[in-house]
Amino acid sequence: MTCDEVRELLPEHLLGTLDGPEDLEVRRHLRGCAGCRTEMAALSEGVEWFARAAHDRTPPPELHDRVLTTLAQEWRDTDAEHPDARRTRWVGRAAAVVAIAAVLAWGLTQTHRANVASADAESYRTVLNTLGGKEFRVGTLASHVAHPFEGSVVLYDSHQGQSWGIVLVRAPGVSGKATVTLSSSDGSGTTVDAGTLEFQPDGDAATWLVTSSDLTPFDHVTITAEDGTMLASADIEVA
Amino acid sequence: MRAREPESDAALMQRFARREAPAAAVLYGRFASRIYGLGIVMLGSDAAAQDLVQDTFVKLWRSADRYDESRGRLETWVLLVARSLAIDALRRRVLEARSLETLGRPPEADQRPQPDELAATADMSARARSAMEALSGEQRAALELAYFGGKTSAEVAEMEGIPIGTAKTRIRTALLRLREAMAEEQRDM
Repeated sequence: MTCDEVRELLPEHLLGTLDGPEDLEVRRHLRGCAGCRTEMAALSEGVEWFARAAHDRTPPPELHDRVLTTLAQEWRDTDAEHPDARRTRWVGRAAAVVAIAAVLAWGLTQTHRANVASADAESYRTVLNTLGGKEFRVGTLASHVAHPFEGSVVLYDSHQGQSWGIVLVRAPGVSGKATVTLSSSDGSGTTVDAGTLEFQPDGDAATWLVTSSDLTPFDHVTITAEDGTMLASADIEVA
Repeated sequence: MRAREPESDAALMQRFARREAPAAAVLYGRFASRIYGLGIVMLGSDAAAQDLVQDTFVKLWRSADRYDESRGRLETWVLLVARSLAIDALRRRVLEARSLETLGRPPEADQRPQPDELAATADMSARARSAMEALSGEQRAALELAYFGGKTSAEVAEMEGIPIGTAKTRIRTALLRLREAMAEEQRDM
């Protein structure tokens, strides 16, 4: 189909009255044609303004509670029907985190640094696409103290409001706890408490967080001892 | 923390899919009035319009994880889900009326106007009304038949007694002209 042919069909595609095969053709064309997508967006705006003009009425106030109550019942009934569904999703996510943590820990043991960038790019993208994420970003910790303090941080930026970060550290001789803080270099002074490291007798420590917040702005991590001493830091970059 | 940017449609739908009540409330605040108004216009009663809002939100939740931002704007998607449900409700009414006639029982006359008639008498909200004036009567009629009636361009052409190409052009031009007119309205505000 040419752009002219597609544009003639766009209103019907938008309004859902186009036959299956033609609709499929239009969808295919749209995926590869920015010009027609722009036209589609303009027509969508037209539909939205038409809706505002033609049928924007204030509903009775009690309808709000009725709809939200109905949704709550729907969610409850879905849980009753599929009791393991939500748990499975969480277990799946946790398993993914643990698996990646295990891989990183192994890498740490073997090479003493995480180097996701060296992974095969295609595999990396496959993993990313499977998880539905934007990017993995990594940083290698640099010690700010006299004794060895090495490790890495991995941030996973999600498209789905489910970002997470992992910090793995090996610092023989260090004991007690340390605070992990993510910060942004954009000058905003924004920080996020990424958890607490609790050092094992051999100096290993790890912490991780899962958040619905956007971690994209954070590109620096610092690890601070309980007495305020900065133990290590790292810049975080795209893997 | 820095001030957050407005939440994207995709992120909002993801939160809704995860059953977050605040996301449901945000969606309700954004769309309930238009869905309710659509119900009033197409189905002709407050009760039917309220049912339409409820049914639409349930359907939106059941398909929330299928919303794809790259394939279209959330507002358009929500409106078309609601419109599709309203058309289904109208079809059910027609089938019910026919089955009553078949059984030989006196049909309960549906005094409520059909979508095409309702569309023609739709009460427009003030600002958008003036934008609607940018449309010719023919463009508006074609758009209302397609939007409220779910008519294809061929059906619009038949009902209006015009070539199909003309019907397509009227609908497309109506949408684009409405968008331009609203953009001018916003610039003048």
